[in-house]
Amino acid sequence: MLFSYNWLSEFVDGLEPVQTLADRLTITGTEIETVTDLSGGITGVVTAEVVTVEPHPNADKLSLCDVKTAEGELKIVCGAKNMAPGDKVVLAVHGARLPGDFKIKRSKIRGVESNGMMCSEVELGIAKESDGIMILPPDTPVGLDALDVLGIQDFILDAGITPNRPDLLSMRGLAREVAAVTDATFTCKSITVEERGGSVESLVNVRIEDGAPCARYSARVIEGVKISPTPDYIVKRLEVNGLRSVNNVVDITNYALLELGQPLHAFDLDKIEGSKIIVRPAKSGETIETIDNTVRNLTEGMCVIADESRPVAVAGVMGGKSSEVDETTTRVLIESAYFEPTSVRRTSKALGLSSDSSYRFERGVDIDAVTEALDHATALILKIAGGMVATGRVDLYPAKYEAKPLVFRVKRAEQLLGIPVDSKEVAEVFTRLGMSVVSGKDNGASVLEVTPPAYRRDIIIEEDLLEEAARLFGYDNIPTTLPVAGLMPGGATSMLGIKRRITELLSSAGLAEALNYSFVSREEFEVTGPVGALPLEVMNPLSVDQSIMRRSLMPSLMECLKRNLQVKNDDVALFEVAPVFALNAVEEDSSEMLPDQSWKVAGVLYGSRWGISWNSPKEWVDFYDIKGIVERVLDGVGVRIPMRFKSVGEDDARLFHPGKSALIKLGSASAGLFGEVHPDIQSRYGLLKPAYLFELDIEILSAVASSKKKYRPLARYPGSVRDVAFIVDSTVAYSKILSSIEKIDTKLIEKVDLFDVYCGNEIPEGSRSIALRITYRSLAGTLKQAEVDSVHSKVQSDLTSRFGAEIRGQ
Amino acid sequence: MRERLEELLNEARAEIEKSGVKGSLLTVKSKYLGRKGVLQGLFKDIGALAVDERKRAGEFINTVKTSLESEIETRLASIHAAEQAERLKTERLDVTLPGRARSLGSIHPVTRVLYEVEDIFASLGFGIAEGPEVEVDYYNFEALNIPRDHPARDMQDTFYINEEVLLRTHTSPVQIRVMEEHPPPLRIIAPGTVYRRDSDVTHTPMFHQVEGFMVDTNVTFSNLKGVLTHFLHSFFGENIEVRFRPSFFPFTEPSAEVDIRCVICKGKSAVCRVCKGSGWLEVLGSGMIHPEVFKSVKYDPEKVSGFAFGLGIERMAMLKYGIDDIRLFFDNDLRFLSQY
Repeated sequence: MLFSYNWLSEFVDGLEPVQTLADRLTITGTEIETVTDLSGGITGVVTAEVVTVEPHPNADKLSLCDVKTAEGELKIVCGAKNMAPGDKVVLAVHGARLPGDFKIKRSKIRGVESNGMMCSEVELGIAKESDGIMILPPDTPVGLDALDVLGIQDFILDAGITPNRPDLLSMRGLAREVAAVTDATFTCKSITVEERGGSVESLVNVRIEDGAPCARYSARVIEGVKISPTPDYIVKRLEVNGLRSVNNVVDITNYALLELGQPLHAFDLDKIEGSKIIVRPAKSGETIETIDNTVRNLTEGMCVIADESRPVAVAGVMGGKSSEVDETTTRVLIESAYFEPTSVRRTSKALGLSSDSSYRFERGVDIDAVTEALDHATALILKIAGGMVATGRVDLYPAKYEAKPLVFRVKRAEQLLGIPVDSKEVAEVFTRLGMSVVSGKDNGASVLEVTPPAYRRDIIIEEDLLEEAARLFGYDNIPTTLPVAGLMPGGATSMLGIKRRITELLSSAGLAEALNYSFVSREEFEVTGPVGALPLEVMNPLSVDQSIMRRSLMPSLMECLKRNLQVKNDDVALFEVAPVFALNAVEEDSSEMLPDQSWKVAGVLYGSRWGISWNSPKEWVDFYDIKGIVERVLDGVGVRIPMRFKSVGEDDARLFHPGKSALIKLGSASAGLFGEVHPDIQSRYGLLKPAYLFELDIEILSAVASSKKKYRPLARYPGSVRDVAFIVDSTVAYSKILSSIEKIDTKLIEKVDLFDVYCGNEIPEGSRSIALRITYRSLAGTLKQAEVDSVHSKVQSDLTSRFGAEIRGQ
Repeated sequence: MRERLEELLNEARAEIEKSGVKGSLLTVKSKYLGRKGVLQGLFKDIGALAVDERKRAGEFINTVKTSLESEIETRLASIHAAEQAERLKTERLDVTLPGRARSLGSIHPVTRVLYEVEDIFASLGFGIAEGPEVEVDYYNFEALNIPRDHPARDMQDTFYINEEVLLRTHTSPVQIRVMEEHPPPLRIIAPGTVYRRDSDVTHTPMFHQVEGFMVDTNVTFSNLKGVLTHFLHSFFGENIEVRFRPSFFPFTEPSAEVDIRCVICKGKSAVCRVCKGSGWLEVLGSGMIHPEVFKSVKYDPEKVSGFAFGLGIERMAMLKYGIDDIRLFFDNDLRFLSQY
C-alpha cells in the first residue's frame, strides 16, 4: 500500500524525517520498498498574480508580463497566451529548480530581462500535457510555496504489508505502528455526528440471518445529500492508491477505507426494496450485477446483502449496480460491517473478483472500529454532501469479540531468543503496542498475561508475542552465535552424489549444462514415450505450450538446439539433469496421489566435432560420438555390468532413426537410449545435418553403479601381439564377434583392440573388413611361440566357422 | 721409428682438425685406426725390429693409438654439438597458435551455486535431502501452517495438477517429510526446483531454492543469526554486511528476512538499479519454526526448538556473477552457458 507522508502526519505528533522513518519501519518489520518525492525535486516556486500582459517589444510570439509576488513585482517574459491580468499562476523565480534538474535563472530574452518563469503543469511534472501555463483558482493567495498549494510537497512510502498485519492497511493503522516503533505520539481525532433526522429504525430494517458469516453490521442513514464532484484533496489522495473518483459520497467511503482501514459501502436507500437490509447466505441460482457492470452467478457458500426481493451487494466484495449511488440519489445508507475473512476470501476467489474491500476483509478488519469508521464517514459526508443524519445507528453485534489473554513466559523467551529478557522492558513494549499487560508469577517464574487489541488478531500464541518483543527490541541487538550441537552424519545422498558425478563427467566431455522448464507443449510431449499414454497436465498453465509435465528431457534439448542455431551457435553440445514425470499407473489408489518422478540425464550433439580448428580435420559429429559419451557416463559412474543393445521400439520410433539408434539394457533393466534423430524430426527443426540424442535413467544407473574397485595383478611376463583381419557379412554384430573371441581362451587372451573397419573397394557388397589386434599373455610365465600360434589359429578358425569370415592375407 | 710415429701423430692431428663433418672424420679414423689402417701396418712392422725394441715400440704405438682414438671422439662430439646447435637455431614453431583441444563444456551457474551452498552447509554437518517436485497440498501448505483460504497463499501463486496435487512452490515440504520420518535432532538442507505461476522480467515460472532447518533441544534465534551469517560470509565474503529484519512467514515465528549490503553500489547510490537505492538486498527468508509445524509432525514444541530458512538460487547466482536478467538462466544460449 502507498502512504502519503503528509496524511500520516495528521495522525502522528513528532513524525521523524521521511528517510529516518522509512528505515525505522523497515527494520521493525514494515518494509518500505521505495520513498518517492512527489515534488520531483522542485524548489523555489511560489504563487503569484499576473498584473499586466503586454506584447514583447522584439518578438511577436512572446509576451512581457508584470507579475506580483510577495517581494514585489517582477518582469517576466512568457511564451504562453492563456493568461490575463488577475490570474493566479505558479512562478519559478531566479534560482528555482524544476524537475529534471532544470535551473531557472534571470536572463535576457530577445533583449528584455526576464526574472523567472511562469510554469505549466508539464513543467511542474504534474501532467503529461498542458495547454499554456497553469492557472490557479482565483482565491489562491499570492506568495505561498506552490508545492503546498499543488499538494505535491509530499513523499509517498510504498510499504509491503505482510498478510498477518491487516491493521497496517490504513493511514491510521500505520500511524499507530509508527508511534509504537518511534518516539512519536499517535493522535486520534474523536468525531461526533450531528443527528437531526428521524430514527434510523423507522427508515430501514436490518437483520442478519442465522448462519450468515457476519459478526457485526452497523449502518447509518443520511437524507437529502447532494451528489456532486469530490473536493480535490480527497480525489488526489484516492488517486495515489489507484482509486478512481466516482462521486462525493462514494469517494468518502473510499477515503475512510484508506484512512481507517474499514471498508464501507453506500447504498441508495430509495433503491432498496422494502427498506430492508438482510445479511444472508446466497441462494443457488441467484445472480447480481455488480457495479463493474458484470453479472455474477452466486452460489450457496457466498454471503450477500439483500433487500426484500434480491441481493444488492456481494458481502465484503462489491456492491450491486441496482442500488448504486448516482447523481439522482438523495437518501443513502452507509454500511460498516465485519464479514468473516474465510467467507470473503472464498467468495472473492470463486467470483474471480477482488477489491480493496475484499482485500481487507479477508485479512480481518478491526471489529471494534466498525462504528467509529461509520461515524467518521457520516460526518464527512454531512460536511461535503450535506443532508441530514437519521438519529441513532444500526449496530448488530450479537457476540462481542473478546481477545483472549496470552501467557508470556519470560524464561521461555530467553530460551528461544538466546538473550536475557527483562520482564519490565518487555511489558513496556507490549503496552506501546496497545496491549494490556498484567505481570505475575507462575511457580516463581516471571510471566506476563497479555491481551492484544482487537486489531491485532494475528497475535494468537506466545511466539507471536515473542516476535513483537524481538522486533521492537531490535533483531540487530540479538547477538550472533553458532549453535552447540552433537555431531551427526551430514552431506549428500547417493542420488545427489551420482547426479553431481554425471554433471562433472559430461561437462568435462565438452557438453554445456542446460536448464529447461519442466512443462512442455503437447507436441513435445507426444514425440517421446509410450504411445497413447495420458499426459500429466497442469490445470492452470501460463500458456498451452507449457501445460504438460515432461516425460523426457530430449524434446526440451531439441528446442535448445534450435534456439542456439538461430543465434548462430553452430556447434551444439548440451546436457541436462532433471526429473521427468508420468501419471501414476495406479491412480485410483488414494494413498499414492503423486505421479512417478524419476531423474534422467539427456544430451544433444550437433555440428562439427572439433569446431573451427586449424589443426583438426573438419568432421561432423556422428553416432559414435554420442555412443562414446554414453559409455563415458556409464563407465564414469561405475557401471560394471556389460551393456546390451536392442533396437528402439515403437515408443521411441518417432524421435529416432530406426537403424541408427539403440536401447541400452543393463541386465534386465532399460537404462536409456541414444542415436540419430529421425529424418522427420531433423526436418521439423530445420536441421541441415542429423542431431544425436541420448537419455539415461539415473535411478537405474544408481542401482547398478558401484564405486568398489578391486585390484588386478599386473602382468609380469611379456605378452605377444597378433593381428587378424577378416572379411565378414555386415549384418554380423561386432559385439558377437568380440564375445566369441574372448570366450576362446579367457586366460591367455588379455585384450582385443579393434583398429579398422572398412567397406568399399576390394570388399564384396554387403560385407566389411574388420581388423583386430589381439594381445596374448599369461600370468604364469612367458608364452612360447607355439602356444600363441595355437590360440591364434583357434581364433581364426572360430571366425571362419562361426561367422563365415574370410581371413585376409592367408 | 719414434720419429716416424711422432710425424704420423702430427699428420693425423692435422687431418682430424681439418675434418669439419662427421663423414670425413670417419674417413680419417679408418685411415689411421682401421683394420687396414696405418697403425695396424706399423704393428706388423714391429716383427722386423730387434727383440729388446719390440716391446717399447709396441707400447709407443699403443699410446699413439689411444691418443688418436680419444681425439677423434672429442672431435666427433664437438661436430655433433655444432650440428645440433645449428639445427636448434632453425627449428621453430609458432607457439602462439592455439593448442589442439575439445571445447571445455560447462556447468550451469545455477548448479554451481547449488553445489556451493550445499558444500557450505555440509561442512556445518547439515545433511542434504530431496523431495518430489509434484507435491500434495498438505505438505506444501497445510502442514506448514498455511491452511486453505489463508491470505498467505496469495504470496505464492501456485500451479495445480488437481485439487490436491500441485507443483511445489518451495522446497519447505521436504522439511515436513524429513521430520515425519526422523526424530530430532536434525540438521538438513533441501535443494531443488520450485514453481510459481509468475512470468515477467524478474520472475520465471520455475526456479531453484535451498530450504534448510535445524531442530534440537536448545536452538535459539541467536543461533539462526549465527548460522546464516556464517553462510553469507562464506558465500559472499567475510566483509559483507548482514542485516536481519522482522517479516512474516506462516511457518516461522518469529520470522526474519535477511539482507546483505548491495553488492553493486555498496549502499552508496540512491539510484542503484539492483537495490533500488535502499542499499540492501534481500537474500534469505528465515525464522524460528512455528509450533503448529512441530505439531503437524508430532514434535513437542515445549521440548524442541528450531530455525528454518530458504533462499533463491537464481538470485544468489545473479548477485554472485553480476547477471542482470533472470531469464538468461533458462534461455540455454551457449554464449551464456559457456561462461561457466
